[in-house]
Amino acid sequence: MVFRRLSFWLALAGLLLTIATLWGARGKPPPPPPMEAPPQNPYPVTVAAAGIIEAVNENVRIAPPVPGLVTKVHVKVADHVEQGDPLVQLDDRDLRAQLRTKTDSLPSAAARIAEEEIRLRDLQDQLKRLQSVTDRRAVSKDDVQRKWHEAEGAKRALIRARADLHLAQTERDEVQALINRLTVRAPRAGTILQVNVRAGEYAPVNAIEPLILLGDTETLQVRADIDEVNAPLVVPGSPAVAYLKGFTDKAIPLTFDRIEPYIVPKRSLTGENRERVDTRVLQVIYRFEKPAFSVYVGQQVDVYIERSSNPVGPKGESWVDSASHRNPVDDTPEGKEQ
Amino acid sequence: MNYVALKMLFGDRAKYLMLLAGLTFSTMLIVQQGSIFWGLMTWSQSGITNVNAPVWVADSNINQVEEIKPLADTAVTVVRSVPGVEWALPLYKGVQRARLPNGNYEQIALVGIDSSTLIGRPYTVLEGKIEDLRSPEAVAIDQLGVERLGGPKNIHLGTTFEINDHRVRVVALIKTQKSFQNFPFVYTTYERALSVTPEERRKLSYVLAGPVSGVSPEELARRIHEQTGMGAFTEEQFGWKTVRWILKNTGIGVNFGTTVLLGFIVGMAIAGQTFYLFTVENLPQFGALKAIGASTGMLARMILLQSFTVGCIGYGVGVGLATLFGLTAGSGGRLPFKETWPLLVGVAVALLLICSVSSAISIRKLAKLEPAIVFRG
Repeated sequence: MVFRRLSFWLALAGLLLTIATLWGARGKPPPPPPMEAPPQNPYPVTVAAAGIIEAVNENVRIAPPVPGLVTKVHVKVADHVEQGDPLVQLDDRDLRAQLRTKTDSLPSAAARIAEEEIRLRDLQDQLKRLQSVTDRRAVSKDDVQRKWHEAEGAKRALIRARADLHLAQTERDEVQALINRLTVRAPRAGTILQVNVRAGEYAPVNAIEPLILLGDTETLQVRADIDEVNAPLVVPGSPAVAYLKGFTDKAIPLTFDRIEPYIVPKRSLTGENRERVDTRVLQVIYRFEKPAFSVYVGQQVDVYIERSSNPVGPKGESWVDSASHRNPVDDTPEGKEQ
Repeated sequence: MNYVALKMLFGDRAKYLMLLAGLTFSTMLIVQQGSIFWGLMTWSQSGITNVNAPVWVADSNINQVEEIKPLADTAVTVVRSVPGVEWALPLYKGVQRARLPNGNYEQIALVGIDSSTLIGRPYTVLEGKIEDLRSPEAVAIDQLGVERLGGPKNIHLGTTFEINDHRVRVVALIKTQKSFQNFPFVYTTYERALSVTPEERRKLSYVLAGPVSGVSPEELARRIHEQTGMGAFTEEQFGWKTVRWILKNTGIGVNFGTTVLLGFIVGMAIAGQTFYLFTVENLPQFGALKAIGASTGMLARMILLQSFTVGCIGYGVGVGLATLFGLTAGSGGRLPFKETWPLLVGVAVALLLICSVSSAISIRKLAKLEPAIVFRG
């Protein structure tokens, strides 16, 4: 009987141990709460998009008129410039040397005019004197005629000397204009967003990054990229909100501006230096009032656009039905290559 | 009568021990093998359970969690456009190579989670703060990673190592479920995961989604699949999909299944044989009982009582031994050992079956028993 009890207690202990172990490891702890609320959809039905903040009227990528050495950068980042303010000075020493030569040739041309004037006056005096002699035997007709020709020639020479002076002035003005062109000026008022050039650097014409990025940061807009499969869902004029990345508790209300009519290959917004094209996107432009917190040009946002609850697809049927049983992400031409 | 039955059972010590041992070891073998099998299956799902998101969106033809076909970046916004989605965020997942300052290298499972919400982060942070993942070059490493990359002496908060020649710094130690491939988990933000991994045309491994309140994850997964055509699964569906793939494509299922079956057969053979011997030896006693008027039904009840009693005791001891094995050999997650309620219930049913079959043989013998046997001696 001792034996029976022992085995009985052993069994009970084993069972209890198992139950206790299982009970201890039961279930899963609830998932940890998100650090920040994820961006949430404020509308019942929505089209979501990835957006980027940019300056209204787009940014101006300032380029030099000719390639050349940069001698001075007049502005720094965040400066406000008016139209016509100088931005960058390119090297103009060769042109300035030419200007000096051209300028120095002016007095010589002017002196030549004076010279010609004096000669003309002298010849005219002589001619007048010869003509005033009435005695035919004193002055031959031939002499008078020759002097007259000389005087006429001197008149033409004077005209030519004046023209030469004018040409020399024009040449000087041309060099001056070329010099003026080497000072790159702001085409319109705005804020300097980027300065990618320093004095002493060579500025090529077709640089990948612009010398200076000029934009208007007073009024900003959002460019929202919508996957082309969702493009038919966007109704012009739909209200939308944007959330800054990592700042999801404050929504920025957006007002519709326009839809870009051309669908473009999507540029990856991961900040990598090499762009990856993976699908094509419809771009919708939204404007917004500057919110109380700071937003910057180039910042990424999550955009939610309201859509009417029952949109009509291209064939007159509900989009939801027409889109079933296909994989939109792989329907892109790029997707078929793989 | 029951008292007599039990007295008969416990009276024959050697037979009782034999019976008990057979049933105990049979139970233990089945429970232990079943638990290791289920432990392996749990490990195979760890890629899913460690992230703990309600709904996973991937390519519609995906087989299992480690077999990734990346999606286009816009898949996140496409999923967000489905009604009923409260949030949708990207997840990077892939095996990369980590190199240590001393030149050793290890394969690691890199997980990139959304940087602002950190949804997909592990339950337990052992050391450090998981929020620090947002700081430059930051990664979080699990306990297996610490062990593999040189132990707590070499890997602690602030240690730097390389992933694909990119310097990273440990800012948190985390606790994760070990994976089937046995690669350590290294967590970082999605953006950093993209920048430290080699150039690929697409890198978005999964889109994680959560339903608005009132919509179940199953319903959400169905909607996402219907509207986008992408494959959408709840955590559980995806886990089972992975398990099914492993059972179909590896020998694990057959292997463990055979062992469990053998345990069952051996248990049944030993128990049946011993019980039969036990009954045969006690035939005169049963005959005497029958002679004094006990019906066959009553004798059958006695046999069943005996067999179920020894079965229950064997079950309890066997299960206890298996648990003890799991607690000692499998401590610290070294061994994939995971007992589950369904397994224990299944084993109990199997044991009842063993007991019933072996007692059926004995009952058949008793039914044909002539009371006169007592007198033939």
